[in-house]
Amino acid sequence: MPRTLDPRDPYYIDNPARVNAIQREMQKQGLDVYLGSRIRTLTWTLDAFIPWRSYVVIPAEGLPTLFTFVIDATRLADESWLDEDHVRAYAPMGGMDQISAVSDFIRDELRLRKGRLGYEDGMATYTAEGNLTHYEYTRFKEALDGFEFINAHEIVDSLSIIKDPGTINRFRKASLIVDEGHKAARAALENGGFKGMTEAVIGGIGALAMRRAGSVSEWNFAGLNEISSGYRTGLGACTPPTNREIQAGDALMLDFHAMFQLALGDHSHNYLIAPATPRQRWHADNFVALVQAVLANYRAGATPSTLAQVMMDLAESRDCADFVVPGCEHGIGLFGDEWRIGAKNDGPFPYWTDPDHAYQVDEMVICAMQYACPAEGIGFRYENPLLILKGGCEVMSKYPLAIEEIG
Amino acid sequence: MSETFKYLSPEWAEEGLKRLKAQIPAEKMHNVTTSMSNIYTNCPGGGERYLFIGTEQGMFTRVEVGEGEPPPAEFRIIGEYETFAKITRAEMGAQRAMMTGKLKLKGNMAKALKLAALADRMNRVLSTIPAEY
Repeated sequence: MPRTLDPRDPYYIDNPARVNAIQREMQKQGLDVYLGSRIRTLTWTLDAFIPWRSYVVIPAEGLPTLFTFVIDATRLADESWLDEDHVRAYAPMGGMDQISAVSDFIRDELRLRKGRLGYEDGMATYTAEGNLTHYEYTRFKEALDGFEFINAHEIVDSLSIIKDPGTINRFRKASLIVDEGHKAARAALENGGFKGMTEAVIGGIGALAMRRAGSVSEWNFAGLNEISSGYRTGLGACTPPTNREIQAGDALMLDFHAMFQLALGDHSHNYLIAPATPRQRWHADNFVALVQAVLANYRAGATPSTLAQVMMDLAESRDCADFVVPGCEHGIGLFGDEWRIGAKNDGPFPYWTDPDHAYQVDEMVICAMQYACPAEGIGFRYENPLLILKGGCEVMSKYPLAIEEIG
Repeated sequence: MSETFKYLSPEWAEEGLKRLKAQIPAEKMHNVTTSMSNIYTNCPGGGERYLFIGTEQGMFTRVEVGEGEPPPAEFRIIGEYETFAKITRAEMGAQRAMMTGKLKLKGNMAKALKLAALADRMNRVLSTIPAEY
């Protein structure tokens, strides 16, 4: 039973309008059909969690059709807004492998024999980006030999950059859910609760609290809830949890992730496990001051490079610039849309954030700041989803910014 | 001695409809309304033939055979005459024929999977028709 779209729902997304917007762009670019394969495209158009290799075929007019791995097609017909005629399966059977199923559909059901086909290619830091592989591209070119293939990912990238009210509300909810995880983690750690507790366990305590509050997944593929303690906090910005036990005198970084209706909660909070040394406190105070300064400067018109300059200038003045990892943010959207900021692929390094991208009202970004001093075995991370406003930003996770000493 | 029918002849189709109606009640077909065209390539004597089967709310309404373009159907299954014949003689499973690419399905596979057991049920009945291949 496909999901009914209700405009009165605060989390409503007008998916048919999104498809229409893609089709208008296709018309402008002279595309007869669009073959989307990236997770961000599937999520943005179909509003469903689509983990297996899938393809969405968008015709010049009319509804899109999803092709997904046979084990998941029935669920997706139930959970997406499309009916079962528009959710197809592929499988290792005659005529049903993914190349045959998709190309036969384009030829026989859309009745297209030639034309311009938009597809998605590029590169990403994100392993699961979902660009068409070389093998897929080659096979589709053979199967659809009357078509000119045009790399057209910028259509979806451009349309998805400004967030609609339903998406923003989903992110607000996901962020408040993450706050529940942090409350539960703090309660578990204080009064000596940290003793004998591993990074993996505190990550799980946060996860349970978030699931109870409505999250369905700690979506992050780099370790779900990322946790680091002690010397590991100084190792950088990817910290899948380990079975290391949290110790007195450690720094502790909790980077919690929640997912609510495909919106991604992502908030990192830091502690010092007592007793903290004056040097640890100095590092912690530096980091909190840097985060406060950067958050105060997010607004429409700011760019990643101007914000980085604010951060580095302050870090220099506090004599801690050596410990600050350059860059203060990564992009964010519904599940699968992470990392790169900006829609046009016209920055100095293709498929990387454009440092001169000027933020616009209703764009969203994860403020992501990392402080790392591996020589002293200490580091901190701050992440929080922000909504860009005309004269500032809305900080979505409300858990108070601080680095407390708890024990 | 029972009568023998020439495989894919109008008489064979008529006997097939009679047996399907008699042996598979609508509820065993989950009251489904669907249709399927089997398209046989490399037939004896050359050319293509088809077998069309239709149901209305689980009741078998049509079993038709012919040459050339089959009637429009929800699913089309394409394969060599000999492959279909082996399936009907129970010498090869339909699923194995699909998985080895000897049969090619066109249509919504997610829907087809829900009907796979029904297709097996039909094949079992059709295989009981004494036939000359």
